[in-house]
Amino acid sequence: MAHELFQDLIRRVREFIHASDAVLSGSVGAQDRVFDALALELFAAQYDAVPPYRALCQARGLTPRDVTTWRFLPAVPTTAFKDWDFTSLAPAERRTVFHSSGTTAASRSRHFHSAESLALYETSVCAGFAPALLPEWTAGGGRFRFVVLAPPSTAAPHSSLAHMFSTVATAFGKGPATYLGETDGAGSWRLNVGRALPALAGVVEANEPVVVLGTAFGFVHLLEHLEAAGARLALPPGSRGLETGGYKGRSRELPKAELHRWIERCLGLTSERLVCEYGMSELSSQAYDGAVGVATDAPTAGGAPPASGRWFRFAPWARAWVVSPEDGREVGEGETGLLRVLDLANVRSVLAVQTEDLAVRRGAGFELLGRVPAAEARGCSLLAR
Amino acid sequence: MPLPSYFLADRPEPGLLTPAMITEACLTLKANRRRYLEARRTPDIIDAIAAVAEDWLDPANPFRQAALARGPVELGFSRETLAAGLDAFFASLTREGLRALVVQDLGHLERLDQFCAPEAEARSGRASWARGPELLAHLPAGRLPNAPLLSLVLGLLTRSAQFMKCASGTSLLPRLFAHSLRETEAKLAACLEIAEWPGGTEPLEAALFAQAECVTVMGTDATVAALRARVPTPVRFLGYGHQLSFGYVAAEVLAHHNLPRVVAAAARDVAAWNQLGCLSPHAFYVEAGGRNSPERFAAALADALAGLEATEPRGPLPVTEAAAIAARRGFYEVRAAHSSDTQLWCSPGSTAWTVVYESQPRLSPSVLHRFIYVKAVAGIDEALEGVDEFRGRVSTVGLAASGAREQALVQQLAQWGVSRICPLGRMQQPPPDWRHDGRPALGDLVRWVDWERPPAW
Repeated sequence: MAHELFQDLIRRVREFIHASDAVLSGSVGAQDRVFDALALELFAAQYDAVPPYRALCQARGLTPRDVTTWRFLPAVPTTAFKDWDFTSLAPAERRTVFHSSGTTAASRSRHFHSAESLALYETSVCAGFAPALLPEWTAGGGRFRFVVLAPPSTAAPHSSLAHMFSTVATAFGKGPATYLGETDGAGSWRLNVGRALPALAGVVEANEPVVVLGTAFGFVHLLEHLEAAGARLALPPGSRGLETGGYKGRSRELPKAELHRWIERCLGLTSERLVCEYGMSELSSQAYDGAVGVATDAPTAGGAPPASGRWFRFAPWARAWVVSPEDGREVGEGETGLLRVLDLANVRSVLAVQTEDLAVRRGAGFELLGRVPAAEARGCSLLAR
Repeated sequence: MPLPSYFLADRPEPGLLTPAMITEACLTLKANRRRYLEARRTPDIIDAIAAVAEDWLDPANPFRQAALARGPVELGFSRETLAAGLDAFFASLTREGLRALVVQDLGHLERLDQFCAPEAEARSGRASWARGPELLAHLPAGRLPNAPLLSLVLGLLTRSAQFMKCASGTSLLPRLFAHSLRETEAKLAACLEIAEWPGGTEPLEAALFAQAECVTVMGTDATVAALRARVPTPVRFLGYGHQLSFGYVAAEVLAHHNLPRVVAAAARDVAAWNQLGCLSPHAFYVEAGGRNSPERFAAALADALAGLEATEPRGPLPVTEAAAIAARRGFYEVRAAHSSDTQLWCSPGSTAWTVVYESQPRLSPSVLHRFIYVKAVAGIDEALEGVDEFRGRVSTVGLAASGAREQALVQQLAQWGVSRICPLGRMQQPPPDWRHDGRPALGDLVRWVDWERPPAW
């Protein structure tokens, strides 16, 4: 029974994704009612079929009968994915598991997928990626070459990011992608320095636009390598880049604007050809801070430009809002709080996720400030690490 | 009350400091010390300090009023929390307490005034004089005033000129204390300087260290180590790293008639300075097997914290720190939904207070701001295993126990490495003769001059 119910929900979410107007509009107009209905139905199904979610809802005194709008769906803290299996999949159906990037098994989140839910994840990834990185594609344009500063998903089977990179490189790629990342013995990602420079030189030589996908630390490793080699490249006209994720202590850290200037200096990608992505292993959809070639420095409702000049939005089948840590209510425009995400593509896990990321509410989107820091040293006590 | 511009930190733009200004200030302090401070007698200095402390307890005192008016915005404590903390601190600065401190650390009340000898030394034909540093530089941490103010008091007792460098935004209470001393005894205040600059401003700090005979530093291990490396070798360096504390409640004190008193004491320790001090508890270890269970203790503690929030509110928090509390609560909420081994009590609609009950003893440091763990244990061995990761970094244990058990527990805590054991409810109220991190705070400042008296030639 449950299996058929979820099959049906997966089908309807896929339809919703296909019907979305494939622009980062933030509002889906006529589809609002469909979104609401799907969200509430998913909640009811997940309440029944995901035991730890039901336990959490019951502790909050909430049942599907009590919740009448998506905004009040109980959200699961991302840290809870480390302790419990938030999934409706029986162990035998769990074909894939994505982990967050913790260092030990106990500190890693687990997000399970079946073949069907992974296919939906891929649909969501591609439908969100194309309008942000390949606006020509949605207008009927051709395929692109891909350079990925991460290992292929076959080498990092538990990384949702590696899976996303491989998925879009396959879906939109012209020929096989060039993977410049690899994993070391401990599973950490590093740059294949032997291949990087010749591969990029080949890209320049071929003079066809490329899509470069990488984490912030992946870009830093590449740029450090290029600088050490005294190389400055101008990627072919029409090239573009996607930068995501934090540094996770894997390279030196620098402010985003500085990283983007460095990318421009060494690779010739200007900031309007760089798009930032926000995602996590607990979600099946991603947010982007703009689209290639589209100016993102739009003013806020108050007329003042946002501090960082760019903000994130999810595609229409996921919604994010910023809540006050004090009372859980949505904060006002320009105020800071914790990011909460409702992702319809999370069919076999839980759709409402409470992140530990601080964000500023910016119009229909958000400006990411980063992970909640360890408590500030205002006193003289040893602090949580 | 607008403060006159007397100390460097009073200036409207305290950022515009130069190394030459620091050097000049230090030279002036040293000259003033020679003129006004060096020849003063200990009882006389104690009188002055005790008089200032008494004044601070008077609700009409303008410095106290300024602290309570400006503290909530500048330091982040509510007016009531600040008042409670200041009262506890200044009430402890009595003549008797300060005399006890001198005798305890130096063996004789006049030890800082002249050569003198308690009986045992006199019998061996020796007399000693304890001399304070000519210039003491203090670099305190955080916004809690107790440790920096006590540092200033100790420096007055050792007749030292003192330069206190506060971290940005934290000089309010040292300044107000120095101004209040100036009103009582302007000449003593002329031997103090209070300045404020961002930590790690090396040219200013180098100028200060070049003039100092002794430097005291409080802060994280990294801060202490970085400063230790920059203080010239002949200058004495006293580093106090951050520590943490916990409470321990023995089963025998959990009788029904006792529970409210024990819980009220525990709640006071959590609320004092919003739990931010190194003497504040991160967790209470509560023995199972008493008339009230550890869970019952946790529930009662939540009630007591709710009550304190009404009379002594925590005050607003920056969103980043509130977010740390919300995230930590989220983690325990899911655990609590799955097993009664974890239980959670939260202030409704705010992050004002949080109690997490856990049946497992391993300590995770709290996110503070009145976020407290209650952990059930079978006995002290289990509790000490739970805090083993922090062995050597535990300052205070607030203890509620009685009779022979108390003796045994105190013995075991001391052998394990705790440096202070006090009654639950008094964790943030050490007496002035408290040995900071197990060291004699006054004794560590002085240099002794021993005079071995000759037989008649």
